[in-house]
Amino acid sequence: MIMNLLRWFSVKGKSLFSMAFSLHRLTGVVLTIYLCMHLAYLTSIRMGKEVFESFIATTVTPQFLVFDILLVLAGVYHGVNGLRLIFHEFGLAYENRKSILYVSVAIVLVVWLIASYKMYMFVMGV
Amino acid sequence: MDVEFKVRRFDGEKSYWQTFNIPVKKGMTVLEGLYYIKENLDGSLAFRASCRMAICGSCAVKINGKPRLACETQILEIGSRLEIEPLDNFKVIKDLITDFEGFFKKHEAVKPYLIRKDDNYEEPVELIQTPRELYTYYDFSLCVKCGACYSVCPAAATRDDYLGPAAITAAYRFNADSRDEGEKIRLALVCGDNGVWRCHFAAECSEVCPKQINPAKAVQKMRFKSAIEMIKSIFG
Repeated sequence: MIMNLLRWFSVKGKSLFSMAFSLHRLTGVVLTIYLCMHLAYLTSIRMGKEVFESFIATTVTPQFLVFDILLVLAGVYHGVNGLRLIFHEFGLAYENRKSILYVSVAIVLVVWLIASYKMYMFVMGV
Repeated sequence: MDVEFKVRRFDGEKSYWQTFNIPVKKGMTVLEGLYYIKENLDGSLAFRASCRMAICGSCAVKINGKPRLACETQILEIGSRLEIEPLDNFKVIKDLITDFEGFFKKHEAVKPYLIRKDDNYEEPVELIQTPRELYTYYDFSLCVKCGACYSVCPAAATRDDYLGPAAITAAYRFNADSRDEGEKIRLALVCGDNGVWRCHFAAECSEVCPKQINPAKAVQKMRFKSAIEMIKSIFG
């Protein structure tokens, strides 16, 4: 079973579509872990405002910025790629799937770079 | 020119790599290379082949990580070093021979034949079809059941009971045929948990299909039709 699961991430001899699929799975796992951590953080407010704010203070820092930027990349990729999949699952533009994959990757990069810039400005207080 | 054939072998107990060096001429196929090994270097090498002209689908193997038909793949197009392995997602019987029994059972399960209410074998009637009606399914009828699509399918890797792209494509091919009257029967067969809803649209099946059939397209079309039928069933 584990070996079969690892095949989701095997890239040898595979096309860009399989790599897109592998990344979709990987980012899905990352976002699930993040969601659990996020809910745990939110739950800390039950322990008092000070506890919650101390948690927030540890994460909204320049040291954590790199993780946040990677998280945004995972989120944006998962979302945009998901929309691409839904589009094809309606049986649409199947023959143009390669172009659509390139366009979706370009959208991911543009959105990610803009979001990263905004986050950098916010955390650094520029 | 000598080319290195690194073949993944399996003797029923253990799996191991064995390397052979074979003299290659321009135009020589991977299947011819395998026959050269069997006839001159190691007679115990087992592989499956039949037509040698890409219409039987027997000789599909993984060549440098990608499933291909050995009979239509020229050695020098791949390079001077080839890694040949049995297809993934199938149980290996010996060397490059995999067990296709489950694959064919799944194919059979989707009723890949014309279903008609007026079947009369005593007095058969010609069923007229326009060229346009023919072209709606023609591409999908070219499937040679080589198993290449199934071997790269991530859904088939983790679910043995998943019908797989080839079987669903066969179902779509007959559903799209204007002479067929079994659409609802086949939709009921493929719309379950082990059918179209298991597909993750990695689309690798379409990328490796040696006949460029686009099985992923057939799966998505069947999925869309299944969704429509399910919505219709909710409203009676």
